[in-house]
Amino acid sequence: MAYQLYRNTTLGNSLQESLDELIQTQQITPQLALQVLLQFDKAINTALANRVRNRVNFKGSLNTYRFCDNVWTFVLNDVEFREVTDLVKVDKVKIVACDGKNQVNDYFSHSSLIIRPSQ
Amino acid sequence: MSDGTERHRQDTGLHQLYYDPNIENKNLAQKWLMQAQVSPQAWQFCWALLSPDKVPEIQYFGASALHTKISRYWSDIPSDQYETLKTQLFSQIACFSSGSKMVLTRLCVALASLALNTMPEVWPGAVPEMVRVFQEEGGGVDGRARCLALLELLTVLPEEFQTSRMPQYRKGQVRGALGREWGSVCPLLQQLLRQGDSPGAVKARVLRCLSSWVLLDVPLSESEGLVEDCFTALPDPELFDTAVEAIVNAISQPDSQRYVNTLLKLVPQVLSLQEQLREAVQNGDMETSHGICRIAVALGENHSRALLEQVAHWQGFLALVNMIMFCTGIPGHYPVNETTSSLTLTFWYTLQDDIMSFDCERQAVYLQVYRPVYFQLVDVLLHKAQFPSDQEYASWSSDEKEQFRIYRVDISDTLMYVYEMLGAELLSNLYEKLGRILTNTEQASSWQHTEALLYGFQSIAETIDVNYSDVIPGLIGLLLRININNVQLADTVMFTIGALAEWLADHPVMLSSVLPLVLQALGNPDLSISSVSTLKKICRECKYDLPPYASNIVAVSREVLSKQIHKTSQCMWLMQALGFLLSALHVEEILRNLHSLITPYIQQLEKLADETPNPSNKLAIIHILGLLSNLFTTLDISKQEDESGESTAPPVKTAPLPPGPNPVVVVLQQVFALIQTVLSKWLNDSQVVEAVCAIFEKSVKTLLHDFAPMVSQLSEMLGQMYSTIPQASALDLTRQMVHIFARETDHFPPIKALFELVTSVTLSIFQQGPRDHPDIVDSFMQLQAQVCFWFLISFTLGFSLVLSLSLSLTHTLSSSLFLFCCGLVVQENGKLLLQAVLEAIGGGSSRSLMEQFAEVLFSLNKHCFPLLTVWLKEALQAQGFPSTRVTTEQKDTFTQQILRERVNKRRMKDIVKEFTLVCRGLHGTEYAAEYCL
Repeated sequence: MAYQLYRNTTLGNSLQESLDELIQTQQITPQLALQVLLQFDKAINTALANRVRNRVNFKGSLNTYRFCDNVWTFVLNDVEFREVTDLVKVDKVKIVACDGKNQVNDYFSHSSLIIRPSQ
Repeated sequence: MSDGTERHRQDTGLHQLYYDPNIENKNLAQKWLMQAQVSPQAWQFCWALLSPDKVPEIQYFGASALHTKISRYWSDIPSDQYETLKTQLFSQIACFSSGSKMVLTRLCVALASLALNTMPEVWPGAVPEMVRVFQEEGGGVDGRARCLALLELLTVLPEEFQTSRMPQYRKGQVRGALGREWGSVCPLLQQLLRQGDSPGAVKARVLRCLSSWVLLDVPLSESEGLVEDCFTALPDPELFDTAVEAIVNAISQPDSQRYVNTLLKLVPQVLSLQEQLREAVQNGDMETSHGICRIAVALGENHSRALLEQVAHWQGFLALVNMIMFCTGIPGHYPVNETTSSLTLTFWYTLQDDIMSFDCERQAVYLQVYRPVYFQLVDVLLHKAQFPSDQEYASWSSDEKEQFRIYRVDISDTLMYVYEMLGAELLSNLYEKLGRILTNTEQASSWQHTEALLYGFQSIAETIDVNYSDVIPGLIGLLLRININNVQLADTVMFTIGALAEWLADHPVMLSSVLPLVLQALGNPDLSISSVSTLKKICRECKYDLPPYASNIVAVSREVLSKQIHKTSQCMWLMQALGFLLSALHVEEILRNLHSLITPYIQQLEKLADETPNPSNKLAIIHILGLLSNLFTTLDISKQEDESGESTAPPVKTAPLPPGPNPVVVVLQQVFALIQTVLSKWLNDSQVVEAVCAIFEKSVKTLLHDFAPMVSQLSEMLGQMYSTIPQASALDLTRQMVHIFARETDHFPPIKALFELVTSVTLSIFQQGPRDHPDIVDSFMQLQAQVCFWFLISFTLGFSLVLSLSLSLTHTLSSSLFLFCCGLVVQENGKLLLQAVLEAIGGGSSRSLMEQFAEVLFSLNKHCFPLLTVWLKEALQAQGFPSTRVTTEQKDTFTQQILRERVNKRRMKDIVKEFTLVCRGLHGTEYAAEYCL
């Protein structure tokens, strides 16, 4: 089964809102909505592992980290993200990362990452 | 409908699904069949569909329906019928063991599902029984077919367990029961694998079955013998893939690290594969080398720590590390001649981490052994990172080139990490090598070799502070000696200089050496990205040392911009670079350079403003406006450190400002009239309006209070723009102005007037129907939140209206609501607010916002309990409110729960979430349970 952590992204949230609306207006069943959601998990995991090639460097000071149920969580302070020419500074960032290695295929090792500014 | 007709319809449906060319018929058939599959009648018809006179597609549907019923509708079956169902399934599997493979697999999955539903209480000895049943002679099916069917069944059993959805407690129970069954499976597999006369197909199935079982975490010590047998199967090409899979799965189980003795026995077995590996590499047999590499890497990557700790066996592990090194350096270019080397990269991280995590004393011992290994690794990686010959590279497809680029990025990441272990000596090592090949007059080196070494430097310098390294000045000297005769090499030279930008800021004397290289590259369209980004990095990091070179940089930039050498985004980067550069000059100098830089564009814009709007001049206008925005984004004379401009409160400036108006303001005032002219023609076009607003937004962000002289002018223009054609970007700019200037009495009147104007215009749009303008609603709410933040003024009308129109609300709005709740205003308009909140909970708003609405309710409950009691009763009295799906009883329960909860906010959130599910018809569905918000 694919990771579900991308459901909590702008794209995932929008999809879930649309599915909710379709269920409320009785245009689809909750079962179908669930299938769509599972398909979304699969598609976004594959797409992020295989199609995204951007490289971003970042540095900051590590506030907290934990590794629980195969999920890494890092909370960083004063982080600088650099992508080719752009520099973005963020006060607080939370990184949630899972091992993407056994997810997509055996040949490439990728991490599934979600980075978001902490609230 | 009779059974006969029903079955006929299924046959027709299946025929349509598989063979009907008409897609609509196919869809209809699929829909109907899906429904049939879950219907109560499926229990009966599925057996009929399996009859031998049907075609395999129909039989497959029958088997599949059976599996669906058993896995999802298990409770349909009375317990006294379990035995009959089991017997029927066994006999069907026996029938199909020499029939269609796909039907057989489905039936096995169905029986596996039954076993999982009945283990361990109802069917305690499931696996021994399966083995027994299939070992019995009979049914006219030959022994080999029965054996294959049994193996298929045993293979799908753990797989079905992994994919089945059962409650957590049950999962643990079944897992334990399955684990115990390994005692019956293991000897069977071993026997079949070791029998000399077992056919290849049986052995392959045994290996698959083993793969499936080891995933259940069976102890490695118990599967040790079988794993050894897998190694003996490797020379057999027919069994190679499945054997590799089984070995890798067994070694990679998290639990396997507990069996160090078994792991130690595996090391020589893996090492014994080296001969086969070398042979495969020599013969270009990619599949075999890939498979063996996977085994070596699985052992090294998963157990490096455990094996490192076995000091007595250090030579064996070092040999394994060298074997993996061989795989990393496998001959040929990735991905065209080989795809194996990339498998090994993670291993090197793991090994390094494990070594570095030992205490100092042990670390020192390991480093003595492994530092030379890692130096060798750097050589190997840089060799692998080399581009192929020009001719060969030209023959690669774009996909292969992209794969190679990614591979180089992976190598770059590995090198950066290796630097942590090898330190400055790594840079000296690279420097010496580079020096040797560039100064060797006897033998000309290939550009590929030079490029790879520089790439190594760049990989490290890009992210690691190389300030203390003493080889950088020498490196820059070497850079100038490079005969740049190739685009890739030139790109890497540029990126290396860019990576050294921070170092250059500390050693400005070297700028004069590198800048000519960068400026020269700026004129080459092939080097567009590398040269522009390098110039930007240098301008950002070294701006205070650049004034002597400023006029030259501006002149070259002007020229390349006018010759249109770069694509739009690089032009924007270049403007940002120039913004940084100009920031460090004197005001007069800035103005002079600004004029020379932007005058041609202003003239062009004047011309474009006179033309009748058409798509091509629109693009040109947006391009020019973009150039100005990007220039003003970075042109900051206040020496302010924070360049991001993203902080929530307006930063306070510390540096004294130079006298006189800010040069950006001077320029903006000069072009203001022109911008108004452009706007007058393009007011309808949201992209042009957005580009105009962007100029001011970027300038305001950078200039902050220096922007003051333009506040009144801009407020007036924004007001006019918005009242003619409301656009979201105008609201965003208004918000920016409120953010920075609203607290200053001098600027309060124009800002206030602007705010009032946009509010009244927006409200009138909302009355016509806000659903058509979600972007305006969003921007407006953010503006309101901003205003609310500063003034805490009441704006009941605005958002109550929006709420009652049940829009998808933003997070910002919800937090505004929370703030608003604290105000006195609640007492007057509270009921309206409550109604809006209830409507949102009833389905008017996204479910992701329920926590915020729960907070509003919580806050109302805490501060205005008596009023809330009355309002809730009144509001929920209405029939069908907030949703037609909730009954009066459910509403009453909700009211009681809400009113009771005055302490526990989390509980309040749960109550609201529960109620919203009921209102939306989602309560109790698997979909709602999966929702992760």
